[in-house]
Amino acid sequence: MRLLLVEDEIEIQSFLRSSLAEAGYQVEAAGDGKTAERLAIDGQFDILIVDLGLPDQDGITLILRLRQLGVRAPVLILSARRSVDDRVRGLEQGGDDYLTKPFALAELLARLRNLLKRNSPPGNEATRLRVLDLELDLLRREATRSGQVLQLTPQEFILLEYLCRNAGRVVTRSMILDQVWGMRIQPDTNVVDVHIYRLRGKVDGKGQQPLIRTLRGVGYVLKDR
Amino acid sequence: MSSKIAKPIMHSAAWRISLWATLAFACGTMLVFVFLHRFVADDIQRRSDAWLSGEVEVLGDVAERTPKDALYGRVVGEVAELAGKEVPNKALSDSSENDSVFFLQTGKDGSLQLWVGAGNGEANLTAIRASRMLPDQPMDLHVSGFPTPFRVASIRMDDGSRIYLGLSERDELRVLRSLRLRFFLLWLLIVMLGFGIVFFTTRRMLSHVRRITEAAAGIGHSDLNSRVPTTQRNDEVAHLALTLNRMLDRIESSVHQLHTITDSLAHDLRSPLTAIRGKLEMSLSAATHGEQAEPIVSAIEELDRLTDFLNKSLDVAEAKADALRLNRSEVDLDELLRIMIDLYEPSMSEKGLQIGLQSGGPLRIEADAALIHRMIANLFDNELKHLPSACTVTIRLRVEDGAASLILEDDGPGFDAEVCLHLFEHRVKGKESNGHGLGLAFVDAVARAHGGAVRAGNRESGGAQIAVTLPVVSQGHAGSPAAVMHGAH
Repeated sequence: MRLLLVEDEIEIQSFLRSSLAEAGYQVEAAGDGKTAERLAIDGQFDILIVDLGLPDQDGITLILRLRQLGVRAPVLILSARRSVDDRVRGLEQGGDDYLTKPFALAELLARLRNLLKRNSPPGNEATRLRVLDLELDLLRREATRSGQVLQLTPQEFILLEYLCRNAGRVVTRSMILDQVWGMRIQPDTNVVDVHIYRLRGKVDGKGQQPLIRTLRGVGYVLKDR
Repeated sequence: MSSKIAKPIMHSAAWRISLWATLAFACGTMLVFVFLHRFVADDIQRRSDAWLSGEVEVLGDVAERTPKDALYGRVVGEVAELAGKEVPNKALSDSSENDSVFFLQTGKDGSLQLWVGAGNGEANLTAIRASRMLPDQPMDLHVSGFPTPFRVASIRMDDGSRIYLGLSERDELRVLRSLRLRFFLLWLLIVMLGFGIVFFTTRRMLSHVRRITEAAAGIGHSDLNSRVPTTQRNDEVAHLALTLNRMLDRIESSVHQLHTITDSLAHDLRSPLTAIRGKLEMSLSAATHGEQAEPIVSAIEELDRLTDFLNKSLDVAEAKADALRLNRSEVDLDELLRIMIDLYEPSMSEKGLQIGLQSGGPLRIEADAALIHRMIANLFDNELKHLPSACTVTIRLRVEDGAASLILEDDGPGFDAEVCLHLFEHRVKGKESNGHGLGLAFVDAVARAHGGAVRAGNRESGGAQIAVTLPVVSQGHAGSPAAVMHGAH
């Protein structure tokens, strides 16, 4: 996967570059709009990360310009403003996504994956998800662990489905709130944790290998190995 | 905040102004008429006095030259009668007898010698005797049996007898009466017309002011783009509109400046925060031992709290300056509350709290969804953090006067008395609170940005109550009652 990172802050650029490389992306970086434009036309990129506050031009202007030049790759917008203005909203509806700074690396990676998935041709949507001995029947909304049916509420099923789809990858609390409850909030209480504890109580029975792991300070991960 | 514009016409400024203006105009014209009337009355009297004096002199002359024989009475009588026919201001009398003029001659002893006029003259003689006549100066004489007084001139003859010529003031008074009547009708017409003209002009002018008021009432609350209507004329109202618009320009530029400052502040703080967080995460993934990871984890948590504080501070600061930017869309409060309760219920029951919703069904409002989400999360966080176990939180949602009313009640200890007075101020928090004291200030800020309000206090039966009202339709799109109907049931 070839990724173009347009970010003027050297510190952010450097840590993003190494973490993205670690996640398996081939990263090219640009510090301003002009360089970004040149790189984007020459190289065939699968995805772009664009910061809105560039030294020579506005990030949105750059994205619109790139679209005019025929760049079709999806864009993840990084914004320092927390209230997202209408133009970003417009781009979001056009298939791109945004993330406000500061962000968790796990969330950035998850959003990149989502964008890539959205833009790839739709394959056969699986009706069953399988992670080790955990199995989810998406049509019947039923989960089983080692053949035992789990008594889950509809909300718990959605939460478990989200964890399964991201098995082996870290999901943060705000990602869970966004994807499962559909809101971008940051509660300063442990609301998400309690949902996870309850789910864990049902999924990880006595004597079974614990599947849902907590990564403190980061989020949760559903083990797939 | 829609101003009460449809008030009765009697209470309008146009009505008051035209009433006072008309009163002043009516009094002025009335005063002018009183002077005019006096002048006319005086003039008429002067003319009739001149006529009387002239005639009485002529009659005296005739009486002197006529020999005092048997024909004397007839000659003087005829002359007097002729004179009576050329009375000034004469109107046709309904009686055949000429009762507007009398001629009377008294002898030396004051007895009646000759009488020409209506009746036998006795009443006139009695009246003359009763009054003190000054020679050569006409005066008023009230005669019993006649409704109007006579104007009487007299002349003294050489032989000691006196000649009196009297002219009824009836015609003079009739002229004046008709003058008064005509004036009054005309005056009434002009005053009514004047009132109408003044009323409609002021009303038209004030309707500009009303339109400016209406437009100005709609401005603010995150909408600073519109301006009040201006007119082509160069009067005070136009100046008012121009001044208001100039003021709005200044406010808009200040708000814009504030946005620029908060944006650059946000940017300058967020970039290093992002870099720090990224580095911490990288070292966390590199850290293998739990002991190494622990400080990194708590650093990340501190950083997230700092970010949250930064976000809320900026929101509250912007909202206090009425500069919170809204991206309005349709939000169903009922659905949102159900999702929120679903999200918070496990945490609450873990703590021994119960939560319940009383709602009349879907209630859609036009609002910034992200801000409303955060506002409600804030309210729920507050309850979760501050309530002791075994308490119940009740949420009531309904439509009240075209606004969504969201009431959050609990049966806990309520707000501290000292905190109660300053609930919405920045950085106010209870002693045991470990938040940064922005919770309710943020809730208030969001409600205000949407043109709503928040009330908070303690219930009489104990426990806290927070009531949030949010307009169903945003002010910019007012006038579609369908949205209200929608949310009613």
